[in-house]
Amino acid sequence: MFRLTLRNLAANKARFAMTTFAVVLGVGFVVASFVLSDGLRSTFNDLSEEITDGTDLVVRPVSTFGEPIPLDEGLVAEVNAIDGVDLAVAFTDAPDNSVQPIKSDGSTISVQGPPQLTFSWTGDEELGSFTVVDGEAPDEQREFTMDFDAAEKHDFVLGETYDLVTPIGIEEDFTLVGTTRFGEDNTTVGATLMHVSLDEAQRLWGTDGTVDAISIRLDNGADTAAVTGVIGELIGGSNVEVVDNATITEEEAAEYNDGITIIGNVLLGFAIVSLFVSIFIIYNTFAIVLGQRIREIGLLRAIGANSTQIRRSIIAEAMLVGVVASAIGIAAGIGLAEGLKALFGLLGADLPASPTILAARTVIIASILGIAVTVISAIAPARTAAAITPIQALRDGGDETGNNTGRRLGVGVTGLLAGLGLGAYGLFGSVGSTLGVISVLGLAAVCIFLGVTLAAPTIADPVTRVISWPIRKMFGRAGVLASENAARNPRRTATTGAALMIGLSLVTTGYVVGESLKASLGDLIEESVSADYVITDQNDFGLTQAIADDLTATGTFEAVSGMRYEEASLQSATTDGQIMDLTAMDVGALESLFNVDITQGSVPADSSSDVVLVHSDIAADLGVGVGDTITAEFATGYSTDLNVVAVYEDQTIFDVPIVPDHVFDEAGVGLLDDWVAAVLADGVTLEDAAPSIARVQAQYPQVSIQTSSEFQQSFEEVIDQMLVVINALLALAVIIALIGIANTLALSVHERTREIGLLRAVGMTRRQTRRMVRWEAAIVAMFGAVLGVAVGLVFGWGVVSALPEDDIGGSVAFPMVSILRVALIATAATLLAAWLPARRAGKLNVLDAISH
Amino acid sequence: MTVLDPPIPTLPIQHEAAAAVGVSKIYGSGQTEVRALDDVDVSFERGQFTAIMGPSGSGKSTLMHCLAGLDEVTRGSILIGNTDLSSLSERNLTLLRRDRVGFIFQAFNLVPTLSALENITLPMDLAGVTPDQAWVDQVISTVGLADRTSHRPNELSGGQQQRVAVSRALASRPEIVFADEPTGNLDSNTGAEILDFMRRAVREMGQTIVMVTHDPNAASYADRVIFLADGKIVSELHEPTPDTVLDRMKSLDDLKGAA
Repeated sequence: MFRLTLRNLAANKARFAMTTFAVVLGVGFVVASFVLSDGLRSTFNDLSEEITDGTDLVVRPVSTFGEPIPLDEGLVAEVNAIDGVDLAVAFTDAPDNSVQPIKSDGSTISVQGPPQLTFSWTGDEELGSFTVVDGEAPDEQREFTMDFDAAEKHDFVLGETYDLVTPIGIEEDFTLVGTTRFGEDNTTVGATLMHVSLDEAQRLWGTDGTVDAISIRLDNGADTAAVTGVIGELIGGSNVEVVDNATITEEEAAEYNDGITIIGNVLLGFAIVSLFVSIFIIYNTFAIVLGQRIREIGLLRAIGANSTQIRRSIIAEAMLVGVVASAIGIAAGIGLAEGLKALFGLLGADLPASPTILAARTVIIASILGIAVTVISAIAPARTAAAITPIQALRDGGDETGNNTGRRLGVGVTGLLAGLGLGAYGLFGSVGSTLGVISVLGLAAVCIFLGVTLAAPTIADPVTRVISWPIRKMFGRAGVLASENAARNPRRTATTGAALMIGLSLVTTGYVVGESLKASLGDLIEESVSADYVITDQNDFGLTQAIADDLTATGTFEAVSGMRYEEASLQSATTDGQIMDLTAMDVGALESLFNVDITQGSVPADSSSDVVLVHSDIAADLGVGVGDTITAEFATGYSTDLNVVAVYEDQTIFDVPIVPDHVFDEAGVGLLDDWVAAVLADGVTLEDAAPSIARVQAQYPQVSIQTSSEFQQSFEEVIDQMLVVINALLALAVIIALIGIANTLALSVHERTREIGLLRAVGMTRRQTRRMVRWEAAIVAMFGAVLGVAVGLVFGWGVVSALPEDDIGGSVAFPMVSILRVALIATAATLLAAWLPARRAGKLNVLDAISH
Repeated sequence: MTVLDPPIPTLPIQHEAAAAVGVSKIYGSGQTEVRALDDVDVSFERGQFTAIMGPSGSGKSTLMHCLAGLDEVTRGSILIGNTDLSSLSERNLTLLRRDRVGFIFQAFNLVPTLSALENITLPMDLAGVTPDQAWVDQVISTVGLADRTSHRPNELSGGQQQRVAVSRALASRPEIVFADEPTGNLDSNTGAEILDFMRRAVREMGQTIVMVTHDPNAASYADRVIFLADGKIVSELHEPTPDTVLDRMKSLDDLKGAA
């Protein structure tokens, strides 16, 4: 029997080629996800080791909540004095991209790409991991260095002077005194690495007298544990700790790995969607090919093969296809990883160069998935084939039309309902963990997809007839035949269309959710924000408070306030300490800038006392109302009693308690504004304000000053960008489905050879023949698109309904234009994909075809 | 281009509906060369029912395929009316088959997704021309399919399917109809019905029909029988009866046996 299996595969090479291709793409995507994340992980692990190489111990501040308080600079000398310490150096760095060098042409390096990092020069090459390549280290004011790769790439010339964008605004005339190398090979993964002297660093980021960490190299042969103990005694307290090299390396690596794991898992998720789509394609191929082999199988049965042997031989066939496809897929995946990287690059997220790592785990998982998907798809066709009786060898093998359509409909509807139930539980129930919700929703989607696929043959005939009405009108008899052909085998049409349904339903879901978020956001901003301008930074590290002051100084505004967030432990008379964020702002400006819907109390005229405004949910949590007291303790140890003066309802902008600026100042926390809002003075228009805004903007180029509608637009752009990424990743699932349609059509053309021969004999031109095949494909695609859009609208509506209404949920929007555009593109792509089978049908030799 | 014009079957300039002039059809070359047709000259008069007979491998089907524009000749030329098929492109050959030729095959004559009526008007639908409804109705009622026009082929008996095929071949009033063993798959009674109908089409409607068959009884419905052997026309018979056909076949066999 096994020889027969091989022969069958050899005889049907072309037919299985497309199936193989579908598995190859799916497996390739899986492999690419792993290869990409393994490669990145390795790059960043090496980087983490490089960063910490040569450092034995690190002293650094810690805190259980809030931002850790920087170390006192004086500690450096004390650590240096300890026996066994060879050298201790102070280290401080600026948040990513908070310092940006301005090129001689006035532009800055794009912040979309790898980060621009600036550190204090430690003065020791080993502890700092940096070596001066050319020139000298920065030790004077207004001197800086840059790693030689970045300097070359961005045209920064040694000895020239440049202006820097810094947290305190633009600082002019910095001389590039040296170029540096990071570690051995300057493996910066694309980042721009800069240094200034420690004093200059403290001046630029406003941290005079403090440092972020102290790096320590021990004497040769020093007892690490003993020295650690001595340092521990010296620093005392719970706000500082001393850790060894291994800990730091691990932490660095873990930080990168978290991000990489997320990227990897997202890619893997899309890969699995693609593989799921492949199941439909493979199932179809096996079902059709076996349908065409009914006589042959009947003959085998007649000469003595039992049904188990038939089934096994078909499963073996599937297994072989799976093995070959997985092997090719694994090879293709390595290339596809580079493709994905390029895709990320195109979308504006450059990934660093990384080695190609094909781990054993990758090969094993990919092979198992590839083979399992193929074999599972072949089980049902194999069972059908095994049920063929010897007598069927003697009859003509017609279409494998379903005789159990009723039962399939029953199972399908059951699956659909189960899926909807599971989906509702996942969205509205209390599943708990994110992974749990994703699993439940994934299972729900699988149930719904399978349910719709099983039920779809029942509606395939009427629906395709409606869809194909214009085609019948436009293309005459060829159009009618295309439509009849699409309707003649509803199960085949349903399964083929269903493959496309999956991808398109997810695209539709994305559009509905994205568009609904935009609509809700628009509503919320309109209701809750009266500020005319919103000022944010591009990288989330915070804005110097000077920006709010400078805006106020223009005299254009009625009110300007920076918003700072900081963790604190809050305790009321009835509850224990809960750690949560607080917002500090100019409370007097609150009602000019926002509409928070105060339901109890009011904003105090004089906000110089320690007061707090609380959202009703938190008020309930803490069991407080107007007149009660909340005790806040900050990371610095500062503690104060806050008098609750108001309770508000609207949590669009503030879902955390609001305190006046002076509370944070006294607590010594939150030096930077997270964002700033400003409302124009009466009678001042946006046009009037433009010159003042432009002046402030020029001083702080890294800051984005937007009108509230621009701010809303930029949010919408973020959503649009995410949709682009999602659609790009789903494209593979759609492409696999299109291949499936082309494959099914090729098989159908083969099956209908005589019929096509007849049509050609009585006068159907090649062009009409091609048209007939192409439009059949398009009708199948449109059927899939109709199912996909319908399912996607339900999915989208479900997800949006599950979002908390007063936060981001609320309005459901159905962007039908975008959705229909995608459906049309898919249909057009199908016409292209069907080009090959159409051409084959057109080229059939009439005589051979008739006598087929 | 004449093929694009509507069929004009009654122009009396020429009496021949189709002709083969010095036609050879050779498969393969050298050692494996097979002459399916060897310098065949034959013409088919308008309004005549001609049967082509011969043993298997005699080239009778090949001759019909070449005459019908389904196959190319190696040498010589085929004329349908005034049109030399060798001068036609693939597309124009297709249009010629659609507009000027009718076909009846032995089996699998009908498109399963189309109703009987749609099958009958298929060539005209493909051409995008409106069928002559009165004529189509007449053809349908003549073959006795009036109550079956909306049925799909799989709802019709073998005889009914073949009658639909005959109707399709006649519905567009082609210059010539080619039939390839049209009764080969039918029982003798049903076969007789079909043949009788074909003869009436010739007698009453002036249709030209060329039929390939190996059944002397079927051949006896024709006005003229030509006999092929080894790719050559070896004999011809007018006003045949089953007996005369059988006799001629026998004598040809004897001739061959003696040679």
